Amino acid sequence: MIITPDKLHSWILENKKIRVIDIRSEEQTEELPINILGAIVSSVESLPIQIDRPNILICQFGVITEEVIASNQLENSYSLLGGALAWTNYKTERKDLSRWSRQIALPEIGIEGQKRLNNSKVAIVGLGGLGCPAANNLAACGIGSLRLIDGDFVELSNLHRQPLYGLDDIKQKKANVALSSLSKKYDTIDLEAVPVMLDSNNSKKLLEDVDIIIDSTDNIKTRIEIDKISKDLKIPMVYGGLYRFEGQVSVFNFKGSPGYLDLFPKKSKNSDKCSEAGVIGMLPGIIGNIQALEAVKLIIGMDSALIGKLLIYDSLSHSINIMDYNKIK
Amino acid sequence: MKIVLKCFSQVKYALNTDEMMIELEDGQTASDLEKIIRKKTGEKLKGIAVQIAVNKEYSDGSTVLHNGDEVALIPPVQGG
Repeated sequence: MIITPDKLHSWILENKKIRVIDIRSEEQTEELPINILGAIVSSVESLPIQIDRPNILICQFGVITEEVIASNQLENSYSLLGGALAWTNYKTERKDLSRWSRQIALPEIGIEGQKRLNNSKVAIVGLGGLGCPAANNLAACGIGSLRLIDGDFVELSNLHRQPLYGLDDIKQKKANVALSSLSKKYDTIDLEAVPVMLDSNNSKKLLEDVDIIIDSTDNIKTRIEIDKISKDLKIPMVYGGLYRFEGQVSVFNFKGSPGYLDLFPKKSKNSDKCSEAGVIGMLPGIIGNIQALEAVKLIIGMDSALIGKLLIYDSLSHSINIMDYNKIK
Repeated sequence: MKIVLKCFSQVKYALNTDEMMIELEDGQTASDLEKIIRKKTGEKLKGIAVQIAVNKEYSDGSTVLHNGDEVALIPPVQGG
């Protein structure tokens, strides 16, 4: 079983009888001292487990203690989610980050990276095949605020690739349904639905206060408008596009890097929209998630591998080609 | 010289292949290759804009090709 820092805190306030066991090494306890009701320091080999009261096991990130409890089938024992790191943060800032403990455990993210995610604001333009998975996973990873922009309505033909919607949502505005769907799952995020199409009249107002723009539109006219605002306001834009079994992702306008029109100055006359060319349902999930991943990297200050580079993914062969267009500018 | 042509999205479907080998004369450029392909395939690429990458780096078309180079034809896609 697991227990969140918030729940543990409430047990302490209730004076509930518990036994706290810190299984960390001396080095770890020195690095991150905790002070919970006279925690017993113990090695894993000699755990003082008795089942007369709940045992709260603590390690650095809450990963080892879960494994110890499961493999030893310990009764009446809880692993502190997020471990000493999440507890320390909870005590200092009264913010429970433990739900993200598995990504906080990644050294590339850590508490600082998670806080950056929690304080960030992202706009998603287009809530179709790409926008649905991008919105869902950005909300799940702890983005602080999401603005969901789309004036379109849910249709039956959307459902095979747009998992935020169901049969009952047909003919409803996608932005409103997406907000409702996400708010049921994620209570930490500030969601805003903008059920109108983005155009040159509203683009600046809708995008000027965000950290990252996810371009998950299905038309080049809107994409060019987003590119313009992204370049003017120096707000990076993560582009995704689909054609049948193939998808593209790139990051535009990051610290002066090339934009969409640098990559594709020429427009095809032949239409290649999903509604006309067709698209396999799983592909937008893959491409939309790569977009979300690149957005997360940018927010936490990691290098995105796709600045000035175009990723092309072929879902038939599972081949990935990355084309460098940095020099074309 | 022999050039490997890689076809993406609309180009792949229009030519019904994702890769083909093209014989070029020495000194010919990436743009020359595009023109040759468009001519050789009749109307199949009509209306499809492409960007060219040579050995995975974008080219404005002036890149002089060498034996064994890989040239990609990449159209914009708008599906989302």
